[in-house]
Amino acid sequence: MEHIVFEIGLAIGLIALGGLVSSRLRFSVIPFYILIGMAVGPHAFHWGAFDLRFIHSAELIDVMGRIGVLFLLFYLGLEFSVGRLLKSGKSIAVGGTIYIAINFTLGILFGWVSGFPLEEILVIAGITTISSSAIVAKVLVDLKRTANPETEMILGIIMFEDVFLAVYLSILSGLILSGSTSVGGVALSALISLGFMLVVLFVGRKAVPLLNKYLNIKSNEVFLLVIFAALFIIAGFSEKLHVAEAIGALLVGLVLAETQHRKRIENLIIPFRDFFGAIFFFGFGLTIDPTTLFTKETIWLSLGAVVVTLLGNFVAGMLAGRSAGLTPKSSTNIGLTIVSRGEFSIIVANLGKAGGLLAVLQPFAALYVLILAILGPLLTKETKLVYKALNKIFKWDVPKRSVPEQ
Amino acid sequence: MEIRESELPSIGRKFQMTNEQGEKIVIVVHDDGRREIYHFDHSSPDESISMVTLTDEEARQIAFIVGGLLYKPKMLENIDMALGDLVIEWYKLEAGSKCAGHTIGELDIRRKSGATVIAVVGKGNAKQINPGPDYVLGEDSTIVVMGERKQIIEFKQIIRNGCD
Repeated sequence: MEHIVFEIGLAIGLIALGGLVSSRLRFSVIPFYILIGMAVGPHAFHWGAFDLRFIHSAELIDVMGRIGVLFLLFYLGLEFSVGRLLKSGKSIAVGGTIYIAINFTLGILFGWVSGFPLEEILVIAGITTISSSAIVAKVLVDLKRTANPETEMILGIIMFEDVFLAVYLSILSGLILSGSTSVGGVALSALISLGFMLVVLFVGRKAVPLLNKYLNIKSNEVFLLVIFAALFIIAGFSEKLHVAEAIGALLVGLVLAETQHRKRIENLIIPFRDFFGAIFFFGFGLTIDPTTLFTKETIWLSLGAVVVTLLGNFVAGMLAGRSAGLTPKSSTNIGLTIVSRGEFSIIVANLGKAGGLLAVLQPFAALYVLILAILGPLLTKETKLVYKALNKIFKWDVPKRSVPEQ
Repeated sequence: MEIRESELPSIGRKFQMTNEQGEKIVIVVHDDGRREIYHFDHSSPDESISMVTLTDEEARQIAFIVGGLLYKPKMLENIDMALGDLVIEWYKLEAGSKCAGHTIGELDIRRKSGATVIAVVGKGNAKQINPGPDYVLGEDSTIVVMGERKQIIEFKQIIRNGCD
């Protein structure tokens, strides 16, 4: 333990390096954090104190990564608002439902065809269904597409995916972490997690006026401590009930999102989310032996999943866009923007690891996310080319006045 | 003109409008303060033909110009004929201005420029309406001045250079 600070320093240095390289290349940071984590680890070289195996610090990095997941989910909850979802309108509700129905079904089918047991199938479907909100929002801003007519639909679908993620994670964690084998036991644990969620949300909603009053704390320091205490205690308590601690964090976020202090919490939490989140992705990479990444099984599985995701997202985007009265061109943009995968896929995969499921899930998730975190934004950028190519086949663009958006 | 407002979760807010000529304008106000103004041609509502990005400060400055607060179009001037080209302006003393600490009388604003200081808003929004010549201008205070356009220009010159 003597070199622990130095080891952590090395880890953070490597993560920072990965971040620098990715921003130089103008790619999403998440795959780079994972890559750099995979590059080092138990198989890496060591020389005196310069130990890239991260054996002594593995446990600490793991804990910091867990905290990272808490912050990522807490922030997701904070950003989310039920009012916003209800206001989003019918076309987005239809689009979001189409997206989830198509892609979740495809994910289940893909896992089933690949011959996995039930729990693994559910994890795979979770990994492939949920887009990366971070990458999508960033790409939209970077490509200056925020004003486009399809943007509301894209962000609406993302919002739907977030809701799906919350519900799905809670059911899945009940299923996987409870360790029960009987149908009754599984149903019971899923019910407990759902019940816990509902109780926290209900009590939280009732407590909003009280929270508004008691969180009126002048000192930033004390304010932060109170928020962190709530976050860690409730997240830790959920773990006791076999609800993933991440869900606990999400719930705290959802409750606090309804208070007047949302903006202040958001501003205070972002640096923590970024720091611990980066360590989570690094730690996830650390647990993967890079040689398992290039086994036949992982490669075929990932490529297959990528193809399924591309098709599923494109078709869902097209249907969602057309049902909302958008042009084929805008609808193409939807599917090709939401294919990016990132943080949430890794969080679902991590749940598989926590539940002791088949080890192939981790390298599969890593490779799958690596491909789609890089390919996704590229596809988004080149939607015009894709549209042109497809237009030759489908002849959408007959020279008439295009359909105005609803 | 109808303005359609919609929320872009985790990005900001979007305002869409179509002008008389059928051109679509979309303004996106980002949560980080940036503004983006997009211009769409009516023939292709899917893709903007031009856009500008503004910082928060730039956006405010442009809003003043577009809103006609800096210069009223000639066509509209006869509406307030009675006022002639009488203008009321809010002028903020910059931090470190040499005029801070001087009284209005010392600067001799009315005699030199013809404009009248009708109010001063000091630190913490302390207002002084119709301040006398003994009123001491504080740093960071905002001077509300009334006069003809050229008198106002004269006034600004005094504030900028008159205290050296």
